[in-house]
Amino acid sequence: MAAARKVVIIGSGHNALVAAFYLARKGLKPLILERRDLVGGAAVTEEFHPGFRCSTVAHAGGPALPSILRDMQLVKHGLETLESPVRLFAPSPDGRALVLDTDPNAAAQRIHAFSEKDAAKYLDLHKALEETGAILSELLSLTPPALDKPSTEDLWKLLRVGRKIRGLGKKGMMRLLRWGPMAVADFVAEFFETDLLRAVVAARGIFGAATGPRSAGSTALLLLRAASDPHPAGNSAFPRGGLGALTAAMAAAAKRAGAEIRTDAEVEQIVVNNGVAIGVVLRSGEEISAKCVVSGADPRRTLLGLLDPVNLPPNFAVKLQNYRSNGTAAKLNVALDALPTFSALKQSSESNAALAGRIHIGPGIDYLERAFDDSKYGEFSRAPYLDISIPSILDTSLAPAGKHVMSIYMQFAPYHLKQASWLQQRDALADTIIKTLAAYAPDLPDKIIARQILTPKDIEETYGLTGGHPFHGELALDQIFTMRPLLGWARYRTPVKGLYLCGSGTHPGNGLTGASGANAAREILQDLR
Amino acid sequence: MPASKKMLMAKHYDVIVIGGGHNGLVNAAYLARAGKKVLVLERRYVLGGAAVTEEIIPGFKFSVFSYVVSLLRPEIIRDLDLPRHGLEILPLDGTMTPMPNGDYLWRMNDHAKTRRELQRHSKLDAEAYEEFGKSMVPMCRFVKPILGMVPPDPTSLDPRDLKALAFLGKRFLSLGAEDKYNLVKLMTMSAADFLDQWFETDVLKATMSASGIIGTFLGIRSPGTAYVLLHHYMGEIDGAFRSWGFSRGGTGAISNAIGDAAREAGAEIRLEAPVARILIKNGSAQGVVLENGEEIRANVVSSSVAPSLTFLNFIDSRELPDDFLEDVRRYKYRGSSGKVNLALDALPNFTCLPGPGRHLRGAISISPSTEYMERAYDQAKYGEFSRRPYIDMVIPSLTDPSLAPPGKHVLSCFVQYAPYKLSQGTWDEQRDAFGDAVIDTISEYAPNLKNIIVGKQVITPLDIERQIGLSEGNIFQGELSLEQLFFLRPVAGWARYRTPIRKLYMCGSAMHPGGGIMGAPGRLAALEILKDTGKGKN
Repeated sequence: MAAARKVVIIGSGHNALVAAFYLARKGLKPLILERRDLVGGAAVTEEFHPGFRCSTVAHAGGPALPSILRDMQLVKHGLETLESPVRLFAPSPDGRALVLDTDPNAAAQRIHAFSEKDAAKYLDLHKALEETGAILSELLSLTPPALDKPSTEDLWKLLRVGRKIRGLGKKGMMRLLRWGPMAVADFVAEFFETDLLRAVVAARGIFGAATGPRSAGSTALLLLRAASDPHPAGNSAFPRGGLGALTAAMAAAAKRAGAEIRTDAEVEQIVVNNGVAIGVVLRSGEEISAKCVVSGADPRRTLLGLLDPVNLPPNFAVKLQNYRSNGTAAKLNVALDALPTFSALKQSSESNAALAGRIHIGPGIDYLERAFDDSKYGEFSRAPYLDISIPSILDTSLAPAGKHVMSIYMQFAPYHLKQASWLQQRDALADTIIKTLAAYAPDLPDKIIARQILTPKDIEETYGLTGGHPFHGELALDQIFTMRPLLGWARYRTPVKGLYLCGSGTHPGNGLTGASGANAAREILQDLR
Repeated sequence: MPASKKMLMAKHYDVIVIGGGHNGLVNAAYLARAGKKVLVLERRYVLGGAAVTEEIIPGFKFSVFSYVVSLLRPEIIRDLDLPRHGLEILPLDGTMTPMPNGDYLWRMNDHAKTRRELQRHSKLDAEAYEEFGKSMVPMCRFVKPILGMVPPDPTSLDPRDLKALAFLGKRFLSLGAEDKYNLVKLMTMSAADFLDQWFETDVLKATMSASGIIGTFLGIRSPGTAYVLLHHYMGEIDGAFRSWGFSRGGTGAISNAIGDAAREAGAEIRLEAPVARILIKNGSAQGVVLENGEEIRANVVSSSVAPSLTFLNFIDSRELPDDFLEDVRRYKYRGSSGKVNLALDALPNFTCLPGPGRHLRGAISISPSTEYMERAYDQAKYGEFSRRPYIDMVIPSLTDPSLAPPGKHVLSCFVQYAPYKLSQGTWDEQRDAFGDAVIDTISEYAPNLKNIIVGKQVITPLDIERQIGLSEGNIFQGELSLEQLFFLRPVAGWARYRTPIRKLYMCGSAMHPGGGIMGAPGRLAALEILKDTGKGKN
């Protein structure tokens, strides 16, 4: 082995890049090893059909933590964020559509057409999510406290959050405690009577999770997401050039700070000596020694796949095997000859501008719940929940002139099918998605030039996400904060000394905030000090 | 003393307890023993609320609603000396789950036999089952004192609350790493996911997970159900009984024993005395008015009935703060279960274990697979009763022959899911179909059932509500879901048995720690009342 480097980072997803940046900034010159030929992990822009590019896996951006945006100077490194004034367009089978603007008052105005009461309540919800989101956002940048012997620093930070929580007042505090474990279907029912509006908000509690809106704890996920964006409909910001542009800017920032990035460099094994990580071996056989190995890959892949299990305490390995990371999400990327015509838009005064945010297909709570039901028994939903974006409306660079790309995130497609394999079912899945959407945009099938379907199996194989889980493991009550990935191991360290986790399988682990990477870097630096 | 004056005097009490269910009676007994002059008002002709024995079919006595016991707090049995008042618990011998393929899973009270039986299904599970049992012990030990604790207010800076919270925090931190891990998982996971970590035999997981959903409108895959699993598991290893059991004479005998203890301590109990209204003056409870117009005054009113009845029916909404009322309306009952009681002239004959035998003396669980359980829930989610429901049945007449004529039997079936709100039709229209679905389902495993039925009683959630006043037919007076536990039960800020009305207390299962013939809310509320009013007369 050549002279030991200080830090090797496995994977080049957004969290790995953020970690690399913070480590490089302290002069550590980390080496990033990416198995694919492009940087970005699940936040990439790929040409899936000649001339058509889109964010192949994750499709709605960030927002990255403001501190990360600032520290990494992402804008300077080329990040340009396009924001649609419309966050979400949700057509309903009755021909109507709900349009939620970024501006809460404008959105409330439109909700008026559905229900006067809901319009008022919408503003209440917006405010409530803003309030709780502001507090929970503090938790995002926090290393979960050690439960055995919390350090003074842990306690101090928790106290700070605690004081903020106290600021909510008795009623607000109790509300937060009550909301967390609730089923999101019950949560939205406390606010709204319009089923479509309920479904739109509830979707944020089930996105990327193997839960339906009636599963307890789904409100916690909604609140966690509100911590990075309090808008009830969630985020609709798209980096120009797709999400690959976000990770490209991050990579540029990391390199600028001193990190090195190697693509086509798949790590096959983490080398451990006497319980200490001493480097990695690449698929090519090349050995790279390091004082510290940081993995942006998910916990199971890192600790059960890349590590010889003898290096883990037996209990730890068993628990990690029980860490739930079977995904239920699939992705369909479509090249379009022209924009499809949504019936709901034709019938109203709305224009195609309403399509520039995200499009929600899932017109009611029962609809979403039924979509989930199928997946429990190993089948994909016959009437799935879809979260769609047509980024080419705001960003013409993604498709040839006049043409478009549509990115469709589909739920629920269980990793394990009861019958047949994903190889046999992938076309049926794509057809189901298109058929579902065609009910709202009948001319869609005629406009399709090409399509790319990614089943959970594809997501696992191509992007290295165990079980095809977009968030490196279920974001459920038993797998968040001090329990992510495992209770007692939520501080980015692992039972192997010198081996760290920095991906979405660690707190807070949700979406593209980059918080996991930043938190991990902070802990690593503390250990190296 | 002239008779008229005596009567007037008699109408003033220290405490009026609304409802003669087990919690109301426990509440009354503790208060009476502390020297209070207590009156219990029960709406029905029989004492016990959901814990009653009634002769529904001539010669056949049923534990009409609640049918097995294990959670009754040992301290209550001790304090009230219930065995002396006639309480006798007969052991329920294990659980047998018939399977569609003709096999069965039979867990017995005999450790070695259960182990052999599990080995027949999976060697690994036989090992894991013991480990599981051992790991549950510290969990139960952790939760046990919480059951006997007035929930602290986590938002308060009152030293008493901080002390209680610190107590909990310290106890948690003192657990070993494994125990911490298990406890946190139990509090947050679904029963199915939790059991998946331990076992591979599906029928075992299905049957065990069933205790996680009883009384909730959740499926076995819904987070939060693992806790209810523990809630039910507690009885199995608690000091007093070690297992689930029947009370001799049916569940009503428990209520009668507690009632006797209360009477002996001086409490007065009136049957067929339905309360119409709680008298309130200047924000303070003064007594009650019965449906017949009779006014009865008391210093304190303690209600063991559901919050919806107490606050929305018995009290003028103007007496209560708006946000409190909103929270009371939001409190979720969502009854999800029904009961089918059958009078039989012979024993059911199960295909998997033909003939009579010990397997009939325990619980028989229709829970053949986790998918079966989850699908039963799926139907209910959309407002239908499960066509193939989860059923837990017992034949108490085998253990207690006094319940049926010689040679005949009573079969008591707890059935889930039966949602209170149906998407189509009413329960009055659907009652028979529901009963038939239950009988058909059992007949798949015991084909002779239909031929031996001599009488039946089908109880829907609506019937539970109508007959014994449990709102929406929820057997726990409100779901035991995470957001309705501990300091959040029944509504945030009012978990300490007190209410926004001075001198009005709550002592039913809607209070911490919830239902299941534990008696804990009744006792804790009594202790709080005594704390506020002092012992003896006032």
